[in-house]
Amino acid sequence: MSNGTGRYAALIERLVESVLAGPGHAASELRRAVFARAFGPHPLTPSPSGIGGTTLPLSSPLSGTERGTGGEDIAPDLAGYVDKVALHAYKVSDEDLAALKRAGNSDDLLFEVTVSAALGAAVGRLEHGLSALRGEGSPPDPLSTTWGGGAKDES
Amino acid sequence: MRLHAVEHGHRLTERLKLMLIRVASLRRVPDVVKTLFYRPEFFGRPMCDWTQAVMRGPSSWSVGERELFAAFTSRLNQCLF
Repeated sequence: MSNGTGRYAALIERLVESVLAGPGHAASELRRAVFARAFGPHPLTPSPSGIGGTTLPLSSPLSGTERGTGGEDIAPDLAGYVDKVALHAYKVSDEDLAALKRAGNSDDLLFEVTVSAALGAAVGRLEHGLSALRGEGSPPDPLSTTWGGGAKDES
Repeated sequence: MRLHAVEHGHRLTERLKLMLIRVASLRRVPDVVKTLFYRPEFFGRPMCDWTQAVMRGPSSWSVGERELFAAFTSRLNQCLF
């Protein structure tokens, strides 16, 4: 793994691989986009470009965009839910899930999106912390590693 | 639990395990356990492997200290678990 996630890199890679690239009801591209959106940019530096070359805005890491760095469109209502899970999951309400289900999202799709968002936020924070301990300015691109089957346009 | 599938949609093997936990503990199974047992190959199994290594594997921190770190982090996240 190019970015390293400490001594547990192999276990983290297996988990991310399973969630982003394993069989599921949500397209793998959507799960990857959700993960990248929740991972977020480093607070002090612009996010590096990910797959598809899109970047997240610096000043407002998760708002104002309906696109993850994976290049996959995330429906606006789903994007709002992803942001809530990533930034303040305790604010998720019954009504949030009920509205998403009324919009036609299945339980399994919402389960996978929720897990992808939570995992993206968790690994993002871990990477930010480890980068700080290593004295680096910013963490690596969340999708530039082998996670989830590897980046499509990275060497 | 807000997702019906994660509350009641477990496969037979996981459903039996949840039943055993409920009988042995005489308590309602926590939602986090139901989540880990739902389609475990997708999330729960690799997540538990990572958690087990971090929380119980070789470390200069004691198990109690690691549990304290986890509880403190959960508290910061306003998570009661």
